[in-house]
Amino acid sequence: MLTKTSARVFFFGGTLLFTLVFIGLTVHAHITLAERTNDAAIDDSVRRGLRVWGEYNCENCHTLLGEGAYYAPDLTQIVDQRGAGYLAAFLRDPSQFYSEEGDGRLMPTLGLDDEQITDVIAFLDWVGNIDTNGWPPRPILVSGSATATYPAVPGEPQASSPAERGRALFNGIGACASCHAVTSDIRLIGPGLGGVATRASERIADAAYRGNAKTAEEYLRESLLEPDAFLVPDGNFATPAGQSFMPKQLDERLSDEQIDDLVAYLLTLE
Amino acid sequence: MSDSSRTIVYAYFSAALLLFGLQIVFGFLSLAKYLGPDPLLYIANFATTKAVHTNVLLVWVLTGFMGAAYYIVPEESRTEIHSPTLAYLQLGLWLAIGVATVGLYLFGVTEGRKLLEMPTPLKYGVVVVMLIFLYNLFMTLRKGERFTTTEGVLIGGLASAALLFIPALIHFDNYTLDRFYRWWVVHLWVEGVWELIMGGILAFLLIRISGADREVMEKWLYVIVGLTFLSGILGTGHHYYWIGVPAYWLWVGGFFSALEPLAFLFMAAFAYTLMRRSGLSHPNVMALHWTLGATVFSAIGAGILGFAHTWPGVNKWTHGTHITTMHGHMAFFGAYAMINLAIISYARPMLFGITDQAAQTRTSVWAFWLMVGGMFGMTMALAAAGIVQTYLERILGFGYLETQAKIQVHYLMWLATSLLFSLGVGAYLVDFLWMGSARSRARPAMAEAG
Repeated sequence: MLTKTSARVFFFGGTLLFTLVFIGLTVHAHITLAERTNDAAIDDSVRRGLRVWGEYNCENCHTLLGEGAYYAPDLTQIVDQRGAGYLAAFLRDPSQFYSEEGDGRLMPTLGLDDEQITDVIAFLDWVGNIDTNGWPPRPILVSGSATATYPAVPGEPQASSPAERGRALFNGIGACASCHAVTSDIRLIGPGLGGVATRASERIADAAYRGNAKTAEEYLRESLLEPDAFLVPDGNFATPAGQSFMPKQLDERLSDEQIDDLVAYLLTLE
Repeated sequence: MSDSSRTIVYAYFSAALLLFGLQIVFGFLSLAKYLGPDPLLYIANFATTKAVHTNVLLVWVLTGFMGAAYYIVPEESRTEIHSPTLAYLQLGLWLAIGVATVGLYLFGVTEGRKLLEMPTPLKYGVVVVMLIFLYNLFMTLRKGERFTTTEGVLIGGLASAALLFIPALIHFDNYTLDRFYRWWVVHLWVEGVWELIMGGILAFLLIRISGADREVMEKWLYVIVGLTFLSGILGTGHHYYWIGVPAYWLWVGGFFSALEPLAFLFMAAFAYTLMRRSGLSHPNVMALHWTLGATVFSAIGAGILGFAHTWPGVNKWTHGTHITTMHGHMAFFGAYAMINLAIISYARPMLFGITDQAAQTRTSVWAFWLMVGGMFGMTMALAAAGIVQTYLERILGFGYLETQAKIQVHYLMWLATSLLFSLGVGAYLVDFLWMGSARSRARPAMAEAG
């Protein structure tokens, strides 16, 4: 039968043992930190951005790395998904981009100055590059939906046709669907893409067109890789300085083959 | 217990209960915003009301623990509180810090680390409060006649909670590290040393209520708190899965956090066995209700519902959804609110000088069932919201905003059930603060008449 003395030994011994193991693992976490979190990339702007994040109490509405409150979307991948240009415009006045009537809730205008906005975006960008052991397993979108096709996840068998692969990418890890609907009448953050293949041909023939594309395919590729080359008129899709909200450097996030697949998919949207 | 010690305990418990009421007010403000639109967007936005809701929770639960310690330690050591002056100074300073914190939040001053948002200078104030508290308890122990395991575990929990507050004072530039050490405070409090406090209070109550043999009780108390640390220390890893530490934390955190329910299940099983043996014969029926209720609700809320989403293969989908809200509400209520209400209910006749232990008001019975029923309903509503959110947003890929629109009906259920809950809180407050004090005022008159 268990005695009080042995119960006490179990408590103190067990606590000591597991405390020591925990401290050992903590030391190891510190050793691996620099590489896993890209610690060297923390500059003054990222440091200031973390303070902005704290002082404006962001994580009592939002989650970041899934931690925080559940009143507003997770922001772990927001810079990749939405791009710094859009986020800056959004932070200046969120009510320009969605409404309390439409969505039931609204982010208040925080009155951040330009430097604070740049800093907090730099911080979020840095967080987006932390090695999170693969979380989230699928992109968490702010709005829009990816239900038209079941999103492809790493490890699932790939579709054989480029357009099918492109469609999975659009709705899945490419996260295009978080800003673009595939009908022309629904405008999320970016223009609706229903009929974009047809419009692309019309656009390049238009006198107002300023880009370098000669075919619909080239136009779509240009829109993906150089979004500033031509800004779609009659929409709030760019900064006053003519910087498109579309995330830049897509070619760094996606392989050449994936870009080809996306273009192939967009060409099916006639 | 002398009148002077008794008044101190009464002051702590009253303050705790009033803050409990305030917590509920801010809970409603936050919940209303889920249903939108928000007329207070530029006065007190969600981040503010939610921070007040959770911070006031921590403050009232800790105030209750302090009151419980000032009650239990003199009782166990057969003495009186060392310095009533220090005890009041501590309470005054503690409440002043609490009021300042809430006031600053309402003006938008915060550090924004969830649950530790309090500005740093005020955190140093908390350290001072804890030092006064521990000094006063230590001096009380010194002049006491004996030192029991029950009070040892209770004081060990309180002292460790103070020690583990230190990481909250340190700031990190690397967000991953910031998260890493934030959990040293938050996790090691609620899934570690606070369980010692709960275990200590529970042991005290069970010895008193069931008449259990102290040697047997305290032996199992060691086993229970031993299991808490065995699972809880490395169980911290379940908060580390996705924050940027090596992947082996998925195994470490997954395995040990899966063992965390054991301590809670043990507490429930033990309380049940003792009660069966003694046959629910103690006249203070409400203390009995809250004590057993605390063990059952913490076993379900903290134990089973925590277990439900702690495994990494599940958690990668549910992390950051209302599944956490569901678990959090029932766990905190079951483990820490209910154990406070249990000790307050047990102390009630003593505090008001009511000699008839069996004298329960009908209001106190309503308070129990409304709170328990309301919290159960809230947990169900949040479970539905969390499951739908996980499925639509995380698995199917609906946007966050679209998903929120689809779970509005669950928010309405949340609202309805939390109304029941808050009626229970109101009943408890009225019963303790108003009826209790009316009774104690009536006492001298009755004595004269008798």
